Amino acid sequence: MASLSEEVLLVVKKVRQRKQDGTLYLMAERIAWGPEGKDRFTVSHLYADIRCQKISPDGKAKIQLQLVLHTGESTTFHFSNESSALKDRDAAKELLQQLLPKFKKKANKELEEKNRMLQEDPVLFQLYKDLVVSQVISADEFWANRLGDINNTDPAPYNNKQEVGISGAFLADIRPQTDGCNGLRYNLTADIIESIFRTYPAVKQKYSENVPHNLTEKEFWTRFFQSHYFHRDRINTGTQDIFSECAKQDEKGLKSMVVQGVKNPLVDLLSLEDKTLDEGYGVSSGPPSTSNLNRSVKESSNAAIIKRFNHHSAMVLAAGSRKGLSHLSSVAIEYEDLQRKNRPKTVALNLKKSDRYAHGPVPLLSQHYTTSQDIINSVNHIRHEMVNYKPNLTQVLSSTAATSAIAALSPGGVLMVAGAQQAINQMVPTEVQGELKHLYAAAGELLRHFWSCFPVNTPFLEEKVMKMKSNLERFQMTKLSPFQEKIQRQYLSTNLTGHLEEMLQTAYSKFHIWQTRRMMRKT
Amino acid sequence: MASEDEINLLVIVVDVNPIWWGQQAQREPEFTLSKCLDAVMVMGNAHMAMTRTNKLAVIASHCQDSHFLYPSKSWRGGDSGAEDASSSGDGKYELLSIANNLIAEEIRNVMSKSEGNSTDTLLAGSLAKALCCILSIKTVYIGRDTKSRLLVIKAAEDCALQYMNFMNVIFAAQKQNILIDACVLDSDSGLLQQACDITGGLYLKIPQKLALAQYLLWVFLPDSEQRSQLVLPPPAHVDYRAACFCHRNLIEVGYVCSVCLSIFCNFSPICTTCETAFKIQLPQMVKPKKKKLKQST
Repeated sequence: MASLSEEVLLVVKKVRQRKQDGTLYLMAERIAWGPEGKDRFTVSHLYADIRCQKISPDGKAKIQLQLVLHTGESTTFHFSNESSALKDRDAAKELLQQLLPKFKKKANKELEEKNRMLQEDPVLFQLYKDLVVSQVISADEFWANRLGDINNTDPAPYNNKQEVGISGAFLADIRPQTDGCNGLRYNLTADIIESIFRTYPAVKQKYSENVPHNLTEKEFWTRFFQSHYFHRDRINTGTQDIFSECAKQDEKGLKSMVVQGVKNPLVDLLSLEDKTLDEGYGVSSGPPSTSNLNRSVKESSNAAIIKRFNHHSAMVLAAGSRKGLSHLSSVAIEYEDLQRKNRPKTVALNLKKSDRYAHGPVPLLSQHYTTSQDIINSVNHIRHEMVNYKPNLTQVLSSTAATSAIAALSPGGVLMVAGAQQAINQMVPTEVQGELKHLYAAAGELLRHFWSCFPVNTPFLEEKVMKMKSNLERFQMTKLSPFQEKIQRQYLSTNLTGHLEEMLQTAYSKFHIWQTRRMMRKT
Repeated sequence: MASEDEINLLVIVVDVNPIWWGQQAQREPEFTLSKCLDAVMVMGNAHMAMTRTNKLAVIASHCQDSHFLYPSKSWRGGDSGAEDASSSGDGKYELLSIANNLIAEEIRNVMSKSEGNSTDTLLAGSLAKALCCILSIKTVYIGRDTKSRLLVIKAAEDCALQYMNFMNVIFAAQKQNILIDACVLDSDSGLLQQACDITGGLYLKIPQKLALAQYLLWVFLPDSEQRSQLVLPPPAHVDYRAACFCHRNLIEVGYVCSVCLSIFCNFSPICTTCETAFKIQLPQMVKPKKKKLKQST
């Protein structure tokens, strides 16, 4: 029965399940149904186990709700209250719709994680197939060491999505269309709205202030496009425009950006200034005409447009880099090696007999001793011989010498003995090698579980060690022996599985020793 | 298959240690330095005859210096060469006859000098010269593929003092993808075994010196690409054990000073190379309890 601490969210009477009348209870973490008149629940499912819910179509006579579990089972509830069946069912459905997503994530996450791991690592997948699918080991044990703590791991590493940048032309892309009767239609998509908000935070602020209290969204955007803020000639005529504030803020922002300058030390913007030789080829000493009075009206409007363009570009770039890109400046102009850093003081190596390193792995005492007389004799002899040296290339080799040399070099000869043993990987075909690799991986996994149980301190470990021993025996019976028979039937009698058997035997003997010790301790 | 334009350079380093060869001539008069050089010449001719783009260099490794037998500096004038060639009269490929004559002339010069007191062959130096020769060929033919290898014909024993230089040469050759092959006449050489193992060449100690030409042509004439298609003597097991610094014994398990990395076969509390003191924890000794002496009044 439900524990007292469980909170009951909804109770629906007259719900039939498997042709039995009863009551449906929706609790905080599970859904349960008990037959009428009885005290206990016959059906109880955790929300985490439910994959989805289905309802019968509206026109049907029977009003039903079906719960499909992750395991594939399904349970159907028939709402049989004559008056309020539809209402009941909808109420239950709504509640489930709210509750299921909360629990869904946790269960799915684990499953997703497992699937992902199996897909990414083919070795792991093969191991899973060998061990779990063939029932040598249970799935829980397999995943016990591998999953770690799912709930605590940071999902951030797997969500490496890049931020989408802002197109510089987003405002220009909103091409107005004539509406027929002297009006303009602007098409705004969610992307454009987002770009505007990211680039001009002042506009975002205005939006959050005014919508939905004062203006509807449509009105806000209409005003936006109507305002002089948006249009070319931004003459701040002090109109009652909610956007005039924005214009003033922009001016301030632009000025501060200019003052800040460019932080990149590799770019020297000031050297790009126009250095014109003024009229008179630099000879005349007239004052440069940069005062504002001389500027024509046209120039000032051009200046305004250019200022707006610069500002727009600056805001777009700033929006993109607001996500915290690191500055290049410190890394680009400094070479670590060339700087004198305060390194910790080290002690110099002081070698007394450094010529020891130069001596090769040859014993100090040479094997041959030659007297100086010998040396002189030999040198004279050779000099004498070579004084009249003339190559005699027709008498270099006698046929007997040649044939004995060839015999020595042919397979089976004196010099070729080591090569007679073929490498084992050339004799065994690749499928057999592959199977052997899988066997090794599976055996390794099982042995790892087995050996990690020692020393056996807790009853859990005792159980585990006995289970692992039976697993090992089962593995040997189902996998290893058939493989051995197969290779014996088909191929040379090379002992490919000797080492595997040795490892298993070591495990068995260790288990045996442990068991006898345990018996002795008990008696 | 090697392309037509690929230059294949073979550098043969012949150990002409006069003491060893003089003793050898007294031990076994059928096989002397002359015979050895004849075999080398046959090998060189065969190599040059295989393709037009094959090139040859021969270095004699003596106790005092290393000398290029071919190509030699004296081969400048085409005239003198032509005369010699035509005088041989047997219709031999000119390049081969010139080469043979040059080698013979140079070796006569080399062996006629005998100064100095050293008895060890300067093998490391000759190998270094060979590597330089290979590099110079590479720079001369910079546009074309060049493949080079080194063949060492060794007679006398290893000299332990050349160990460092030898290892440097070996690693330089490995970096440049130059094979080092070794044909050993007398006693096994650990350094050359290592050289062949590291660079991927062949090491062979020949049982019969008289058949040297046959061994050279069978085993060392094919280049590395062709060797994969042939059945050749398998590589021998190389002894890479280190030698302890105190006795120069080859050891498998030893003690290494953590400061100067010198290797010893026995533990000693002070490293003799860098004079660092080491402590080993001895098992704790239980001090016997001292009985309190009663003060006598």
